[in-house]
Amino acid sequence: MTYNDDLTTRAITIRDMPTTTRKPRLRKRPPAWVSALLALLCLLMLSPFIWMMLSVTKPTDVAFSNPPVLWGYQLTFTAFVDLWQTTYFADYLVNTLVVAVVSTLIALVIGIPAAYALSRFPSYISALLLVLALVFRALPRFAVALPMYDISRALGIYDTTFALAIALVAINQPFTIWLLRNFFAEIPRELDEAAMIDGCTRIGMLRRVMIPLMGPGILTAGIFVFLFAFQEYLTALVLTDTSSKTVPVFIATQLGQTLPMLQQAGAASMLLTIPVVAIAFIAQKYLVAGLSDGAVKG
Amino acid sequence: MKAREFWLLFAPSLLVMGGLLVIPLVRTVQWSFESVHYGSPGSFVGLENFATALTDPRFGRAVLFTLAVTAATVVILLVLGYLIATAINRITRSRPIVLGIMLVSYVLPNLVGAVAFSWLFDDNFGGVINRMIEFFGGNQVLWFTDQVPNGILVIVNTVWHMLPFAMLIILAGLQGVPTELREAGIIDGARAVQSHLHIIIPTIRGVLGFVTLISIMDVLRMFDNLIALSPQAASIGNESIMLYVYSVAFADGAQRLGLGSAINVLTIILILTLLIPFIRGIFKEAKAAR
Repeated sequence: MTYNDDLTTRAITIRDMPTTTRKPRLRKRPPAWVSALLALLCLLMLSPFIWMMLSVTKPTDVAFSNPPVLWGYQLTFTAFVDLWQTTYFADYLVNTLVVAVVSTLIALVIGIPAAYALSRFPSYISALLLVLALVFRALPRFAVALPMYDISRALGIYDTTFALAIALVAINQPFTIWLLRNFFAEIPRELDEAAMIDGCTRIGMLRRVMIPLMGPGILTAGIFVFLFAFQEYLTALVLTDTSSKTVPVFIATQLGQTLPMLQQAGAASMLLTIPVVAIAFIAQKYLVAGLSDGAVKG
Repeated sequence: MKAREFWLLFAPSLLVMGGLLVIPLVRTVQWSFESVHYGSPGSFVGLENFATALTDPRFGRAVLFTLAVTAATVVILLVLGYLIATAINRITRSRPIVLGIMLVSYVLPNLVGAVAFSWLFDDNFGGVINRMIEFFGGNQVLWFTDQVPNGILVIVNTVWHMLPFAMLIILAGLQGVPTELREAGIIDGARAVQSHLHIIIPTIRGVLGFVTLISIMDVLRMFDNLIALSPQAASIGNESIMLYVYSVAFADGAQRLGLGSAINVLTIILILTLLIPFIRGIFKEAKAAR
């Protein structure tokens, strides 16, 4: 058995672990202090988020008062209403979503065939790809973003959602194909050959056999690319101005201004947070799979 | 698979990466030898940009700050990540909830997390943390204008953001440790600490190496969180390398593109140097595999 085979089997087992309930073998119930510590940890991890939630639902005059007002105030959603009415938040949110969705779709459409091709090729190419994925991930973002700014201005596509989306496709592409390649590598090659003998072309086989089989893998890669695009601040800051501004850039421009504007930034943060937190819970299995797959194979 | 099929399938992706990653990179390298402004061709100045960068004390401070935060963050991430992964590995029923809560800080945009942190720490925004420190008899801390406390704040925020990632990967590693290995240790009379130090940690050292690698790379290019956490970064000496590039080459109409590119090139060299041992390891494994 080669090292790679060993890793592959291990990754499959690991992937299913966190969410399926396994029969406890040797494992006893954890001592109470372990549970207590973990509960405390969860509270600590959430505390900045909870505090922000409290602050944006206070009236502005007490939201940032020192010492903090903890009770006896009127719960209010003025910051959210103001955010909606006095800023272009709705536009920025739409921009953010469009960029995230478009870049996810393009990344998958070009990434899936590439990853498949790489998974069926000798491993030194995969090793080279892995190195490239690492190197490109490690690059200082500005080394790519500043030339992109210059080029996008020259091409007249500066400050469009398309330019930002395609830039993010490129930036995340090495990670995307690396992740997808690992999932493809788990599908036995005999399956390709069987389908091809039955008269499928390579592309037809990819579409009818591989992609349905790869459902979870594609979903995992898609969720990661979507999250990366949704979170992106630096690239959006450099490639957008007014008409395609995204929410993280908007939040940053609200900082250091007046307190009501700061509170609106908090409200915007909350609205941006809710969908990704929902993803964290609903798609947990895929996030965990994506992270552990990359690691165990890396 | 035939070579033609391979290239057909790989071409679209390669085209995008070539056009949007490789060309910009080449441009950066070219700019680093030029005196250049946006939208106009530059003129060759040799190594002048590199000389400017390397003799600028502000660049030196940025490198030191970035390296210090990186080192501290990575050590804390490994230790905390290991301890928490070990604890989570022992719970079963509540694991999905705990993992879901842990993932929140990872999926949040880095900038949003930093804004939330600034509200907890800044005295102008309520200063909960300082009120708590005073309650326990400590002195008020200047989290935003004092270099060391501000650095600590940045480290705490970075750890908060990256801990779920480190913990999940270490957890995956822990689940790959064969049960027989642990049992053998118990039979041989190993105490808990000994079994961690001599059995589990050596077994998952590949995974720990991977966490170290990714954390180093991600912390070295920190930028987003400093916008909210260190508004006076330049004056208190807490600029990161990327923040420095931003301020010379982009912010508020700054145009020293040659200097910014030279710093980018220097950063790439620094990162590649750090990556060499890992790259070698990957190639060795690939050779061994087939």
